[in-house]
Amino acid sequence: MPLFDDARFLMDRRQLLGTAAAAGFAGSLPGMARAAASPSGLDTSNWTPEYIGGIAGTLDVDTTAECAKVVPLSTKGHLTYWYVGPNQASPDIDHKIDAEFWVAFAKTYPNITVERQNLDYNQMLNKVRTAALGNAAPMVAKFPILWGVEFAAKGQLSQLKPEDVGYPVDEFWPGALKSVMWKGKSYGVPTNNETMGLIWNAALFQAAGLDPEKPPATWDDLVVYSKQIKDKTGKNGYGMVARTNAGNTPFRFMPQLWAYGGEAFDEAEANPTYKTVNLNNSGSKAALQASYDMYVRDRSVPMSALTNTQNENQDPFISGQLGMMISHPLEYSVMLDRTAKATGDDKKIAEGVVANMRYGLVPKGPARRAVVFGGSNVHIFDPKVVDGKLDMEAARAFVAFSTGPEWSTKLAWTNSNPGNLRGFRTKWMKERLATIKFLNVTTSMLPSGIPFPVIPETSEVMNIIVPDMLQNVLTKKMTVSAAADDAAKKAKVLLSGL
Amino acid sequence: MSGTAAASRKRLVSREPGVLARMVRHRADYLYVAPALGVMLLVIGYPIYDTIYLSFFNTPPSLALEDKTFVGVDNYIRILTSDAFLEVTVNTLIWTAFSTFFAFVLGLGAALALDKQFVGRGLLRGILLIPYVISAVAAAYIWRWLYHTDFGVIGAIAVAAGLTDRPINFLDNTETSLGSLIVVNVWKEFSFAMIMMLAGLQTVPEQLHRAAQVDGAGVFQRFWHITMPHLKGVTLVTVLLLLVSNLNSFTIPWIMTAGGPAGSTDIWITAIYQLAFERIRFGISSAYSVIVFIVMMSMGYFYVRALTRRDGARYG
Amino acid sequence: MKSRGSRGWGIVRVAFLAVLTLFTLLPMVWMLLTSLKTQFAASQYPPEWWPKNVTFEQYSLLLSPATETGRDFLRYMFNSVWVSLASTVLGVIVAVPAAYAFSRFRFPGRQLLFYSVLLRNMFPAVVFLMPLFILMRWLHLVNTEFSLILTYLTFGLPLSIWLLKGFYDNIPAQLEQAARMDGATRFQAFFQIVMPLSSPGIIATAIYSFILAWNEYLYALVFLNDKSKLTLPVGLQRFFTEYTTNWPGLMAASFITSVPVVVLFLILQKYFVRALTEGAVKA
Repeated sequence: MPLFDDARFLMDRRQLLGTAAAAGFAGSLPGMARAAASPSGLDTSNWTPEYIGGIAGTLDVDTTAECAKVVPLSTKGHLTYWYVGPNQASPDIDHKIDAEFWVAFAKTYPNITVERQNLDYNQMLNKVRTAALGNAAPMVAKFPILWGVEFAAKGQLSQLKPEDVGYPVDEFWPGALKSVMWKGKSYGVPTNNETMGLIWNAALFQAAGLDPEKPPATWDDLVVYSKQIKDKTGKNGYGMVARTNAGNTPFRFMPQLWAYGGEAFDEAEANPTYKTVNLNNSGSKAALQASYDMYVRDRSVPMSALTNTQNENQDPFISGQLGMMISHPLEYSVMLDRTAKATGDDKKIAEGVVANMRYGLVPKGPARRAVVFGGSNVHIFDPKVVDGKLDMEAARAFVAFSTGPEWSTKLAWTNSNPGNLRGFRTKWMKERLATIKFLNVTTSMLPSGIPFPVIPETSEVMNIIVPDMLQNVLTKKMTVSAAADDAAKKAKVLLSGL
Repeated sequence: MSGTAAASRKRLVSREPGVLARMVRHRADYLYVAPALGVMLLVIGYPIYDTIYLSFFNTPPSLALEDKTFVGVDNYIRILTSDAFLEVTVNTLIWTAFSTFFAFVLGLGAALALDKQFVGRGLLRGILLIPYVISAVAAAYIWRWLYHTDFGVIGAIAVAAGLTDRPINFLDNTETSLGSLIVVNVWKEFSFAMIMMLAGLQTVPEQLHRAAQVDGAGVFQRFWHITMPHLKGVTLVTVLLLLVSNLNSFTIPWIMTAGGPAGSTDIWITAIYQLAFERIRFGISSAYSVIVFIVMMSMGYFYVRALTRRDGARYG
Repeated sequence: MKSRGSRGWGIVRVAFLAVLTLFTLLPMVWMLLTSLKTQFAASQYPPEWWPKNVTFEQYSLLLSPATETGRDFLRYMFNSVWVSLASTVLGVIVAVPAAYAFSRFRFPGRQLLFYSVLLRNMFPAVVFLMPLFILMRWLHLVNTEFSLILTYLTFGLPLSIWLLKGFYDNIPAQLEQAARMDGATRFQAFFQIVMPLSSPGIIATAIYSFILAWNEYLYALVFLNDKSKLTLPVGLQRFFTEYTTNWPGLMAASFITSVPVVVLFLILQKYFVRALTEGAVKA
């Protein structure tokens, strides 16, 4: 039984690239279409699973030598570093790679001592904000793509561009580089880039009378599929997430909104200015209506969606209670990890789920196929907010070491892709492609990635205004139109500086 | 020692002038209260000053705190004229009033039921106190799991008992969310009221009850005419302590629903937290805090009166 | 007639207590049952009323020093014990002399200061988070347990001072007077006469402060970053991570977190009731 319908997938890819070119889509990631012979040696205009498979393993990297050119290996220094590292729920391999990374860094720069804090994803943003306000920030921190600009705007970050740590600009996705820019200056280096895919349970599809190997092609189809799964099997169809004050919500709703032609500002355009608000355009309203249809009309999604974060969808999915959801390739490694640890009846269930897991592209809509261009960047804080004295050399050494092709690939092992594009050519990428099934799906979604607006107000728009809009519709507190207009009004007030 | 106290009382009575002189004479007394007051001043004094100061500034998320702009009372006007404030205030009043009322009634009922010797009384009292002593974080997670719309046990029991044909939507529904949270809050704190009222009941003289019983007074009459008058003081204290703690609740609403869905469980404190920490507006969140302070302080008069009634009787 | 009436009330009373006990206990029972299920079994609808395959894996994971999770959890527990004990002990040391002075001495400003102590509880914790963080930073206490100890200490003070003052008000001054006539210093008189008489009050306020500190979440979340310094309520939250919710694990952790305070309270509750009766209620 083919786990993935390659022929259909490919056709879809070509179609997408065709449409994308026609619609000037490539413009949303400027530079994607040019650069056949960039320093990274990559041709990003031809980004297919075959191409990615073909280049993997073609480049040998000497991280130590590359770092030595930036900061001498004998440098003495001290570094404080905060990041979201592996935790209780992470698969074992993440713990292993994290440990290896610190050993390797200590070997490369034996005279730099590191004081590191592994923080919880849901707590980190507030912690960094508080720390920066109280002049207690670390020297270096790695955090999700969306957060950096707020600190840059407040003058709490040091300027930092890839060249400062020895890497040419072309080695990074243009969309990723855009996320570290504020008022024309660069404040960070991309460490990893990720996009999600659609994951579904083939057994539930089968039970619902759907083709188990074929994901919904469009968001309209997804609504139909979700209802069919609910009606035929009694299980929930699509894993909607609509909790307020939660970052998971926009990562799942914005792709749908963009697909229907909606936008928060003009972030899906070629050269966004983030000056106009489009939350109440017809595309945004169509996306809201589709969510309303699933939650209120069909009741085909978890009714706990309004209090759920994505966390709460994972367990139902892997216990066969949920048909589809938008997620990382990580889900698959988590599942493998659990299967390995499960015993008795649970082992059988787990093995069944692994056999039935399928990954495909996020559905497209009338306007485009879209996904959030996510990932993380590494930043150096401004000396005035750092706890103690900023050791710039140690900081640069660390950034150079961790954003090179080797470690940007390894650290992104289970759920992401290297920020440094040369990483795609390494042997480690080849190993990942061989061992992490479905990695090619999310890798192929990268060109459909739309970065969140790079303005300090974004986290409020995405984590509060958008989820509130969705909740106003799903609770029937407001009509679709009224909720969209209400959200647009709030976003406009926000842009006016209040 | 008591000589000193008596002497000082005499001086008080004679209204000897010169507060400063008296303070100097009593300088040693202040040493006793200095550590307590010092640490309070540190932990409360500066934050109050800072909150009031910041409430007159606009601090948009795009600017560092140093670059704030003075806006006078704009923040106050914006809060008081916004629709959301009205909604949040109504939620806060419902939350506080119903939580306090039900916690008190259940607590009083439990105290009356327990105010009699029987085997296992201590254990039962201890069991009823469990929700009060466990952490609010744990309580919030336990109840989120009980209420869970898809896997929750309460919904499943209702379905199994034939009460509904599908699981009840407790937390994901604007009509039931606030009520569901109030149940959790009452569960968490009714035994505080119980233990206070139990203590109060022990001060009711047994003879009075017996005398009334002999006179043929019924259970309810005895409760109303003998027990209740003795419980007036402790009732006031208990209700005020409950009101204050309910107005200040944060953990249960925040962990369970984060103010959602669609703002239906947003109360003052969660709104302030959201403004300050999710939306990074310290200026407007400080103004919001000051408004809440003012409400609290106006209650504070009754609160202090209730706690110090005894003093009034003794020295007043 | 009379006895029938009280029998009727007796039935109402038993029924009421039974319902209340179920209301109190059933959520705890479900927590315990969930904690004994596997993650797969926990996400079933309708739920398994009784776990088919009882497993203690969450408990062994949390309490085993051999795994990283276990080491973290045991560390959180140790930190919670240390922070709660320290703030309780310091709280008592600070509260006892203050309560004694408010009861016995007649210094100017006594009433005003006493009122301001009581008002402390009226300020919502959330409001003070940011300014207190800046203050702690200024005192070089951020990311140290002492920042929490200092803050928690003040939570318990209003009730402690109020309760203890009630106790001292009820202890006749003549007792100390007699001791001092026998040659004891004021300090000795206090320790030998007043302290023993007020010990139920001290125990009660200590339990109260301990529980407040043990359960506090918000300040612990903001003041501490270092993973090795976190306390249990914040550690509990780490079970909700970006990708997974482990409900059985969360319930097991909630259970373990609750055990120490519940046991402590079950053992010492009689002091609590007695202290409230003598210190706070009796006029």
